[in-house]
Amino acid sequence: MEIKIKLHGSSKMLSESETLLIKLPENSNIGQLRNSLKKLINEKYSKNNLSNLSNSAAFFSEKNEIINDNYKLKNKELISIIPPIGGG
Amino acid sequence: MSIHAALVKTEGQKISLENAKKFIYSGDHGAESIFIGRVRNENSGKKVTAVTYDAHDQAVIKSFQLICNEAKNKFDNNAKIFLEHATGYAPVGEISILIAVGSGHRDEVFKICRYILEEVKHRSPIWKKEHYADGKEEWLPGHSLRPKKEIK
Repeated sequence: MEIKIKLHGSSKMLSESETLLIKLPENSNIGQLRNSLKKLINEKYSKNNLSNLSNSAAFFSEKNEIINDNYKLKNKELISIIPPIGGG
Repeated sequence: MSIHAALVKTEGQKISLENAKKFIYSGDHGAESIFIGRVRNENSGKKVTAVTYDAHDQAVIKSFQLICNEAKNKFDNNAKIFLEHATGYAPVGEISILIAVGSGHRDEVFKICRYILEEVKHRSPIWKKEHYADGKEEWLPGHSLRPKKEIK
């Protein structure tokens, strides 16, 4: 299955595009998505100071609600990654 | 309408103090408080030239409305609140956030202003990338919205 992640904040370093496509096994959840992100960051972005992103980020559904690690992803689903925030 | 909450794209727009003053004015109010946050020229010893603000627009507006309603319920239901935050590239000196509150008395306006500022910093999905005089840039660390029990 394939998940599209809308990038925000520091996660924008993961792609030139506004979104990132991630391939996952069928019936994956957010916890598995975190593991894939961690692997991607370790392999390709280890110099970008993103080592804790997969652990510290939250994820929002298309309804703009926080989804937890047990949330089952659907093929082609669009979710947002929410790195630690700090406006003002 | 007693709450105005918006994101202002810095390309072509500016946060307006005059608009805020007009919005919160009421003959019923004996007190007004205005908080202005600006892009500062220094952070942790680094010379800052600008900040780029990124936001999850829909979630930010939802959080702004929620926070402002909470503030009214907590301190004064008759208060008028104006809240705007910048998104995009903002050079040093530019307004990043403006909170204006009108209410019956001084205690309420100070409390509402402070409550909104702290809650926005901890709940509204906004991010800052600082640009430095030496040409480098950096996304700043922040507050995680991941459920605490899940963080390892």
